[in-house]
Amino acid sequence: MNDRLLEVRNLSTYLQADGREVRAVDGISFSIPKGDIFCLVGESGSGKSVTALSVIRLLPDGIASHPSGEILFNGHDLLKLDDPGIRAVRGSQIAMIFQEPMTSLNPVLTIGEQITEALQLHHPTMTDAEAEQRTIMALEQVQIPHASGRFRDYPHQLSGGQRQRVMIAMALACEPQLLIADEPTTALDVTVQAEILRLMRKLQDDTGMSMLFITHDFGVVAQMAQWVGVMQQGKMVEVGSCSEVLRKPQHAYTRQLLAALPENLAKPVSVQAQQITQEPAIAQTPLLQIRDLKVWFPIKKGLFRHTVGYVRAVDEVTLDIPQGQIVALVGESGCGKTTLGRAVVQLEKPTSGSIRIQGQELTGLSARELRPLRRKMQIAFQDPQSSLNPRLLIETTLTEPMKVHGIGANQEERIELAGRLLESVQLKRDFLWRYPHEFSGGQRQRIGLARALTLNPEFIVCDEITSALDVSVQAEILQLLLSIRQQRNLTLLFITHNIGVVEYLSDRTVVMYKGKIVEQGETEQVCKRPQHPYTQELLAAVPRLTV
Amino acid sequence: MTEYIVSRESFAARIWRKTLEGVGVKVGLAWVGLLIFAAVFAPFLANSMPLLMSKNGEISAPVLHYLSLEDAWILASFFIALILYRLRLGAAKHILLFLLGSAIAAVLVNVFIKPPVLVIYDDFRSAAYTEVDWRIMPPIPYAPTDYLRDLGSKGLEAPFASEGHTHLMGTEENGADVLSRMIHACRISLSIGLIASGIALLIGVVVGGLMGYFSGIVDMLGMRLVEIFEDIPTLFLLLTFVAFFGRSLYMMMVIIGVTGWSGYARYVRTEFLKLRKQDYVQAAVAGGLPLSSILFRHMLPNGVAPLLVAVSFGVAGAILSEATLSFLGLGVVDAPSWGQMLDQAVKSSTFNWWMAVFPGGAIFMTVFSYNLIGESFRDAIDPKLSREAGVNT
Repeated sequence: MNDRLLEVRNLSTYLQADGREVRAVDGISFSIPKGDIFCLVGESGSGKSVTALSVIRLLPDGIASHPSGEILFNGHDLLKLDDPGIRAVRGSQIAMIFQEPMTSLNPVLTIGEQITEALQLHHPTMTDAEAEQRTIMALEQVQIPHASGRFRDYPHQLSGGQRQRVMIAMALACEPQLLIADEPTTALDVTVQAEILRLMRKLQDDTGMSMLFITHDFGVVAQMAQWVGVMQQGKMVEVGSCSEVLRKPQHAYTRQLLAALPENLAKPVSVQAQQITQEPAIAQTPLLQIRDLKVWFPIKKGLFRHTVGYVRAVDEVTLDIPQGQIVALVGESGCGKTTLGRAVVQLEKPTSGSIRIQGQELTGLSARELRPLRRKMQIAFQDPQSSLNPRLLIETTLTEPMKVHGIGANQEERIELAGRLLESVQLKRDFLWRYPHEFSGGQRQRIGLARALTLNPEFIVCDEITSALDVSVQAEILQLLLSIRQQRNLTLLFITHNIGVVEYLSDRTVVMYKGKIVEQGETEQVCKRPQHPYTQELLAAVPRLTV
Repeated sequence: MTEYIVSRESFAARIWRKTLEGVGVKVGLAWVGLLIFAAVFAPFLANSMPLLMSKNGEISAPVLHYLSLEDAWILASFFIALILYRLRLGAAKHILLFLLGSAIAAVLVNVFIKPPVLVIYDDFRSAAYTEVDWRIMPPIPYAPTDYLRDLGSKGLEAPFASEGHTHLMGTEENGADVLSRMIHACRISLSIGLIASGIALLIGVVVGGLMGYFSGIVDMLGMRLVEIFEDIPTLFLLLTFVAFFGRSLYMMMVIIGVTGWSGYARYVRTEFLKLRKQDYVQAAVAGGLPLSSILFRHMLPNGVAPLLVAVSFGVAGAILSEATLSFLGLGVVDAPSWGQMLDQAVKSSTFNWWMAVFPGGAIFMTVFSYNLIGESFRDAIDPKLSREAGVNT
């Protein structure tokens, strides 16, 4: 008993929503030994966040109920504590950090004020000077440079990674015994994520606290955890030590999750064969030629909105995309990869440079001149929520572009074509007569792909189309993409930040950093023998499954 | 393809269903429905002449004979609207066809209907109309401008106070029946609310839509225009116009409409600025769809919901403006209006409660109804709010 800091026994959490009861957490048990990191993994909706919120009792009473179970923290049942009792535990003994660093700090208070407030709340006798001292120490502990100078900074003056560090500093200021981290690195770039993870491990080593770490990323699990619990639909399907669960998964669901990781997905043999036969084709003129492309956004200030400078989102990019290849565009957020993708399909007006598709110049054309060329290039988007018009039937969404471009003799023929398209993205034909809100995220992404295919394009820009999806759904979409590519000899520009996906999917890889291309080449070569220091850093930061 | 068609709820149908879930909105819609009924069928509900009568075996309908151009046009428009509702075309087609039909009806009515220029209500109580085989009178047998002089009405009689005649809501200072005037006044209240808001909505959607879609310099100029119009005090402008150009209901509608669009423009602009960046709008652009389709098919239906909320509050505001003006004695002279009746109640030397309670209550109920409808709309559109407030669940 003594070495177990937290012990959860048969915990159930039911949520009331729309008059229905949702069994968000359904009878789970696990325990966290002192000084260890316990990782909860699972897909979205599996109940991992609700578990964490139940432990720290942050769920609203009217909505959440616990029909069974106990949460023993140092031997005391947290579920039996009254409000003042749980407040004494929260913050001082159990602290929590959240996923979104942009919204978890109060924007109108300085970071120093926010940490000292937390400190003085739990140590009422602490003077202001002492609290400030402790805060600066905490900021130094999370390796914020010039901590004493940043004490009076506001959250907007910090980057996302720094904000997450401040959050950790705030959580650690009161020296809790248990830190609950709910996807603390999901919103961060992979290089920043690597730093934060390293920092969290170091702090855990230094302070000897325990951690309940929630993530959906098995790479992160492999880096952080001593113990792993896998959740599926509110149930804990497998608990064990990290190496055991990852190396010898017992439960079918765990095996399925691990198999769906891009690095574990088996490439269809036919695609590999096709790649070999295609090698000589590269010598031909590339489908898409981008020369010295610049997309600069003016920064306007003052009463008359005069331009004081530019954000160089895409800066002198030169890139060839050969026919029939999948080119992956990687880089961290804000590096200009999405802007480049949108500029290629003429959704963003380039400042200068040239884009040619099959030798035809795209820049400088009017909307009217561009319309016939739009058939050749399409785009699929990241966010399944906003990619389909909620007011239109899928049928309308798919047939309207066909009508504009004169595909199909009449509406019946177009409906037939649209139905076939849905079948080609492995959806049912009668989904045509539904509205977007009736579909899951994965289904919507398939429909988004079908819409990109309606005009029978040569080239599709896929802008992070799998980023918002669970890993098993991502695997299905990736396999679908490969099979569609094979059927239609499509060329894809696949924008992503996920190196695993790049390795699985792409023929060539282009690495972007601060608006410029720093490295490009065969995927194999770029990923195995990166030349540019940024690529090397990026690849080193990727959390790998190898334990 | 028919075998694939599955009846499923559209977005609009879902909003409409959620709107109707509340109790308040049902009360509101019932009241507005009652007003519409009263406004359309006013001459058949309250009139001094018989609806139908038979004299010496000859059947005639004096109400139809004396039907004014306005009455006929309103009836025709109402039935056109009913037929269109049954037809189930698109919303845009509905509006277009209704306007077209209504315009044709107006022309036809002007050409073919020639009502008698002079109506003397006292005649209907003379032997020519009373000594008949049988006759059917309207439920309220008094016209709104029938001052009952032949009956020696003294005016300002409390409900049920006069001898020999029943006045459910009493009579006003000239001796006319208050209930009859109340029924006929529905027309002004409804039409000023709908037409003024319609004008404001049209200007607001066009200006706001252009500002939101094109942004940049168009947006900047548009916003300055919005600010200018927001600073115009509508009531004082109305007073000024009435002073210079005399009293006209249509002028009031236009002024309230032309000064009231700035709020709608702001709503539409904000929605369009947001929608412009939505992926499905970007996909429509990438698909090479024409601008009209992008603006009106992909953007407007998604941005129209908050506008409906604003409109239902706007209608209530327009009705209040008219009532205020009439109350100040600057409203329309000949036609009855609720605000004008309130004015009479105040100006009279004694306090006649029935002159204040009934029109005041009607104004209150109408404004309250529109607000209930607007609020219910807003809750239906904002799914988070509707769940938390427990209004529609």
